[in-house]
Amino acid sequence: MRIASHWAQRTVRVALSGVALLALSAAAEAGTVRVTVAEYSAKTGPYFEKVAKDFETANPGTDIQIEVVPWDSLQQKLTTDISAGTNADLSIIGTRWLLDFVSQGIAEPLDGYMDQAFKDRFISTFLTPSVMDDKTYGLPIAASARAMYYNKDLFQKAGVANPPKTWAELEDAAKKISALGDGVYGFGLQGKEIETDVYYYYAMWSHGAEIVEDGKSGLSSAGAAEAAKLYKRLIDEKATQPGVTSYSREDTQNLFKQGKLGMVITAPFLSNQIRDEAPKLQYGVTGIPAGPKGDKGTYGVTDSIIMFQNSKNKDEAFKFLDFLFQTPQRVAFTVNEGFLPVEKEEAQDKHFTDSADLKVFTSLLPDARFAPVIPGWEEIADLTSNALQSIYLGKEEVEPALKAAAEKADAILKQ
Amino acid sequence: MTAERPILPYLMIAPSLCLALAIVVWPIVELSEIASHSVNRFGQLRDFVGLANFEALWNDPNFIASLWRTLVWTVCVVGGALLTAIPVSLVLNEDFHGRGLARVLVMLPWAVSLTMTAIVWRWALSGESGMLNSALMGMGIIGTNIQWLAEASTAFPMQIFIAVIVTVPFTVTILLGGLSAIPDDLYEAAALEGAGRWTMFRTITLPLLKPFLNIAMILNTIYVFNSFPIIWATTQGGPANSTDILVTYLYKMGFRLGKLGEASAVSLVMFAILLVFTLVYVRLSMRREA
Repeated sequence: MRIASHWAQRTVRVALSGVALLALSAAAEAGTVRVTVAEYSAKTGPYFEKVAKDFETANPGTDIQIEVVPWDSLQQKLTTDISAGTNADLSIIGTRWLLDFVSQGIAEPLDGYMDQAFKDRFISTFLTPSVMDDKTYGLPIAASARAMYYNKDLFQKAGVANPPKTWAELEDAAKKISALGDGVYGFGLQGKEIETDVYYYYAMWSHGAEIVEDGKSGLSSAGAAEAAKLYKRLIDEKATQPGVTSYSREDTQNLFKQGKLGMVITAPFLSNQIRDEAPKLQYGVTGIPAGPKGDKGTYGVTDSIIMFQNSKNKDEAFKFLDFLFQTPQRVAFTVNEGFLPVEKEEAQDKHFTDSADLKVFTSLLPDARFAPVIPGWEEIADLTSNALQSIYLGKEEVEPALKAAAEKADAILKQ
Repeated sequence: MTAERPILPYLMIAPSLCLALAIVVWPIVELSEIASHSVNRFGQLRDFVGLANFEALWNDPNFIASLWRTLVWTVCVVGGALLTAIPVSLVLNEDFHGRGLARVLVMLPWAVSLTMTAIVWRWALSGESGMLNSALMGMGIIGTNIQWLAEASTAFPMQIFIAVIVTVPFTVTILLGGLSAIPDDLYEAAALEGAGRWTMFRTITLPLLKPFLNIAMILNTIYVFNSFPIIWATTQGGPANSTDILVTYLYKMGFRLGKLGEASAVSLVMFAILLVFTLVYVRLSMRREA
């Protein structure tokens, strides 16, 4: 039985890899470059199809095949493709996954293809997260940071003159706005699904705590506890929407678009959504509030496009990357999706220089922090979110919950 | 003697047997191999680790909690669906004006994708703009909005309720098939003897319906035990893993945390539980019928 099953398995594997080889060699002859692309919005697919067509016109003989994958299932698809050896030549990934791709020898270093001029195209804040051991493993294809959106009408009604500059001012303003009643709440707090932990880091960084300090989790620090207490107090004072653990990022954004939230912290793409879905909303964009000692921090996120080490068409694949990162293509992509420009020349385009909202985001970049590049990051993020949910629900006290989470995180960091 | 045993029948079923084995056995062999190795997040096998992945599960309180919750979930959903489906199918079996329409209405939800149903419920249960809260407020049953999905104590019963609703159409279909197979003269004879409706139900309908109830029970159990969309679309197993069942736990393990070895171990445990349940149940309740 054992032998039989092993034999069967091997046959299937040989057959599969044979098919894969055939496909690859056919691809190699035709000069095909396969690109896995994450779907940011309905505009992503058409954008990449157009760029591929333009590239093919400029480079006859090369065939670019674009596969558009929804963000939610991208990681799952890459895992399956890589384990079967049928991955594309290029793929968009979350930069926070890159460490795994590098340590398992899946991503190809790009330094051999790039000259200094190519590297200089990028705003260095966004290129550095893809650099590991002095080698560049990915190029930032999408970048965003976070800022605070506030509803000007609600501020006026509640008699708050200016958007808050500190968390203390925010607490005060949020209470006043919630006091207006009628289903209106001061501060939108996210407590569910992806980035529940990130929503907490805003306050944590402002209180002088770091996610990882000297190889240990910062969750047990005094600043982390202060931040959690602040959020818990906002919940208890009804300065947030009720039932925060049932609100995902989209849910709080929707509440803001409906004019029911005084303030919410989120990414630049909310501006695009408000323009399309709630054009009458009177809103402003301002920085993340500062802590008692003036600390503040926003969350920077980049997605990278990487080349696979097993690609058979590396030269052509890089040529396509070069094309993708030329200014006209970049501007079209960034404007479509509502992200931040990643290249210096791109940033000079009037689309970005004229937008008041984007100026705020760009001005926050010096304070931007990225998800730490550590193994087991997703697991640490997950246990942080779980601890926060218990705190928000009042099931656990702040200090013990954070301490327990910090211990688990330390154990993961040691591995 | 053996030489004379006809070989042709075996040859004739051989192709389908091979196909069945390939479909059933191969994934399990593959899963066992992943579950007994340390695996990187791209599914590439590293060292053989024996039962370490199972041990890790056993030491994870979230796994044990999910296991218990899966049992509660399965018993409540399958039981609730059966208890609802029996009266519904009895009514639909009666001859009344508009029965065809009523049957279509009961079956219709079955035709909608489960994920879509779950997402619509997620909206309906939303705290500030949800339909359910507006309806309950309108009827004066509640004074303030209930945040249904914020806590397991309200979210999990709601998820069970949704699962019962979506399981009823399939169960009714099976039971209607069973009811139409019961000959009418049995009831006529019983009526002549002076039996009431309840007696007829208890002594004729229920016993003759039993094989169909058994089928509904087993198929529903397997289906509900492995059912992912409702919980995932409404809470993703949160807050703080308090609504996770095994299949959502498995998904998080495999595709969010990249622990494919442990995820494979979970799916083998799930397979074992269902296999044991099915074998025991089939032995206990179906053999006796034959």
